Amino acid sequence: MMLHRLQAFSLCALALIIAASGCDFGVDEEVKELKLGNLLEEFTPPSLAELDKTAEWVDRPVLDGIVLLREKQAGEMPKATVAEALAMKNESTEDNDKILSALGRLPPTDQSDDKSVDWDAEIIRHAPFEVKSTNPLLGSSVTEQDISGLMGFGLFSFDWNFKPFASKDAVVSWQTSKDQKCDKVILRNDLTWSDGKPITAHDVEFSFKLIMTEEIPVPAQRSGTDKIKCVKAYDDHTLVYFHKDALATNIWNVNFSVVPKHIYDNQKELSNDPTLQNSEYWVKNEKSPISGGAYVFANRTLGQGAVLERRDSYFMHEGKQVRDKPYYKTVRFKFAKDPAASLLQLKGGDLHEMILTPPQWLHETGGEDFYKHNTKARGLEWTSFHFVWNTKVPFFEDKRVRWALTYAMDHKQMLENNRFGLDEPCNGMFHPTSRWAPKNPPPFIQQDLTKAAELLKEAGWVDTDNDAVLDKVIGGKKVDFDFGIIVADRVDRIALCTILKQSLEKIGIKCTVKPQEFSVLQDKLQKKEFQAAFGGWGTGADPDTSVNIWGSTGERNYGSYVNPEIDKLFEEGRKEFDEEKRAEAYRKIHTLAWEDQPYTWLYFQNAYYGFNKDMRGYMFSPRGPYHYSPGFSSIYAAAE
Amino acid sequence: MANYLIRRLAFAAVTVLFITFFVYALIRMMPGDPTTTEAAALNPDKPISKEDYKRMQRTFGLDQPWYLAYFKWVGNVARGNLSSSFFHKRPVRGVIAEHIGPTLLLSIPAIILAYTISIPIGLYSTAQSGTLIERTISLLLYFLYSLPSFVAGLWLLVFFYLRLQDTMFALPASQMTSDNFEELSPLGRLWDIWTHMILPLTCLTYGSLAYDSRFTKANMEEVMRQDYIRTARAKGMHPFWIIVNHGFRNTLIPFITLLGLSLPGLLSGAVILETIFNWPGMGYLFYDAISHRDYPLIMGLVLMFTILTLAGQLMADIAYAFADPRITYK
Repeated sequence: MMLHRLQAFSLCALALIIAASGCDFGVDEEVKELKLGNLLEEFTPPSLAELDKTAEWVDRPVLDGIVLLREKQAGEMPKATVAEALAMKNESTEDNDKILSALGRLPPTDQSDDKSVDWDAEIIRHAPFEVKSTNPLLGSSVTEQDISGLMGFGLFSFDWNFKPFASKDAVVSWQTSKDQKCDKVILRNDLTWSDGKPITAHDVEFSFKLIMTEEIPVPAQRSGTDKIKCVKAYDDHTLVYFHKDALATNIWNVNFSVVPKHIYDNQKELSNDPTLQNSEYWVKNEKSPISGGAYVFANRTLGQGAVLERRDSYFMHEGKQVRDKPYYKTVRFKFAKDPAASLLQLKGGDLHEMILTPPQWLHETGGEDFYKHNTKARGLEWTSFHFVWNTKVPFFEDKRVRWALTYAMDHKQMLENNRFGLDEPCNGMFHPTSRWAPKNPPPFIQQDLTKAAELLKEAGWVDTDNDAVLDKVIGGKKVDFDFGIIVADRVDRIALCTILKQSLEKIGIKCTVKPQEFSVLQDKLQKKEFQAAFGGWGTGADPDTSVNIWGSTGERNYGSYVNPEIDKLFEEGRKEFDEEKRAEAYRKIHTLAWEDQPYTWLYFQNAYYGFNKDMRGYMFSPRGPYHYSPGFSSIYAAAE
Repeated sequence: MANYLIRRLAFAAVTVLFITFFVYALIRMMPGDPTTTEAAALNPDKPISKEDYKRMQRTFGLDQPWYLAYFKWVGNVARGNLSSSFFHKRPVRGVIAEHIGPTLLLSIPAIILAYTISIPIGLYSTAQSGTLIERTISLLLYFLYSLPSFVAGLWLLVFFYLRLQDTMFALPASQMTSDNFEELSPLGRLWDIWTHMILPLTCLTYGSLAYDSRFTKANMEEVMRQDYIRTARAKGMHPFWIIVNHGFRNTLIPFITLLGLSLPGLLSGAVILETIFNWPGMGYLFYDAISHRDYPLIMGLVLMFTILTLAGQLMADIAYAFADPRITYK
């Protein structure tokens, strides 16, 4: 018995020692006072009077996205009536155009008592991801960004052609200095947070400093914002952004999230918990966030989503209407993970909109059960998919080999079978409808095994040992052309890579398809620990965002593609303010990259949506129906 | 018994440390880390810079060697702090607590229902062993066992949600409560939760019926061969009481083992069903945490499951002593 007690005591002591030693590591670090804006260089902005004297201000556009859309629609005749559009099934491009034309119309007037709008309607939007954070600084998922868009305060936006403008809902005037290094914005004086406090230029200045504080974990916000030297609020309504350099891309850096200074400017709480996530103070704000946008957070239920309610104080000020009344009274983001279950809910009317996969578009949304409550529409989207060739790997160093692989791929089978004939072929980084795509675009590649074999032979790949696999002497050793391609663990993507594998087998190349869990895939791409990969990119609103992918030192240049001429063109494009000359730089980049084939570009994936029949006012941009101006703001529920 | 308990608890403490250490080492060695998925989810307009990437790694504690980070975690746990979830951006304790209730709401009724149905089936099968009825029941149960729960789930949704829509038999498609839950009366809320539970509960229960009833039958057949059963028959006891009173009681030891091992299963959830029915359970939480490499949340969950497993085994061992007087602990 004594022995047992001794054993027990020893074990307890061991456990306690280990835990206690951890306590030393786990001890709270001394709370240091946070210095806001500690990532910024010292800079003393000039007085406003000095600035006004020297800046030679140039007026920039201050626009209303809804007005822009109304002007666009004024010049278009609907291709069908609403009744016709609701009665038809979307089975062709013509049907699609009619549906979008009829159901995408704005209400006849911009009055807040327009009888064609159901002003008390609720929309139930599909949220594929749960809402983790309501803090606009911390949000990262698409759902969180959508919620930020409705609740957040912003000064700038861009239209469906990605042309930026200052938003008339927030801004009186926007001017840029002649040297392009300063942007002056005068805010409206009828802006309020949802707790009644006014939104002022000081909130913007403070938000900038907060984002540029090292301890605050907001990497998404800091990107671009770190190109700004200073943001100065000269008074409650006058704001000036000082840029480090005169760049055409400066406008994209100024649209960071704005948070209420009167809530966030709390030195004690920021120092105590700079993560903005753990302390009671921040958790309380997380549960009841202050809104600066058209909607206010009503509630969030675990595993179900979030509900936003229209905020009267957004469009009413001192008893008068000062902005367009948002159409929907309630916006519900309903979280639903499984695509099949989500589609059932769309059919049942418990969801009002969702993205459809191509198989769902083709095979599961053609019957009466779907059309009872819904219709569907599709639009061009600038999301492209491709094979990435790691140019640091000997197989893919040679451009001829990369071209050979592009010619070897069975593009026709991919588009017709794997993509169900729904998506467009891709011939480079910019979509053919983009103003940055070459005016004489490169041809879409068709499979040509003969050409592929010739190019490989030119590059030194020959089957010297008659084992039906090409080989070459590299570094004194005979190497078979045998590589692996990593791909996300999704059936359609694995099938697409299998088409590549089967195509390459015909010309003596062995390819192993290696499905990976998403995190593992991303890790290998970021560390460049792969030979080939399948992936895709969405489009940024400015072509300069693709320097991240195509620039020699770009963080997303996974294939290690290097082209000094492209680097130079990106530099030129950033500094060029003439739109046409700027576009020409990116057309050249497109052409150069196409000639080098660091990717085998495969297809542009379009946007496919199911919409409830009550919904009106939707229109597709190259980023889908929501992520541009007016985006969601133009969508409403029909009164009848 | 007291000595036994002290020894078991001491062993349990060391076991917890070993398991958490081993799991932490494993997850830190897995390819990918929290920054990987965070960076991949970002807006294409806002690619993250190299400097911010390094800052993110520091925020997530990835700049430290993994064993130091583990000791820091142990120290925090010893002080009752499970850290903050990287992905949920909230304290781990809160995230887990939110998901425990919904998980138990399904798992406890599922276990009770499974045993309530399968034990009588098992006993009946014992009594009717070899007959056509027993064979038919076995076939049906094996069919249910082989039917994947996600297939059954979707079929049930199509029928009860879509086909029976606008009828009194319609059931909700997903989630734990309706959108207007807050506006319902207390009874209305109970009914609302119940209607949302029916389909996932059905899917969670039917698969285990075959196993549990076969388990019962197998144990019963062993017991029914014993001499005391022959004696009971010879005494003229009714077959029902022979099976229930003399036979079933002596199969309790294996049942207690099964129940004890089921304890962690109460909280482990069911990933696929939670995905289909959007039930905010622990299964999907754990799967999601691993996908996002949410180390604090993974460790919080592993800690909880480890403690539950050890507690379940301990409770089973203690229960043996009560179920079988021949068993004692010193």
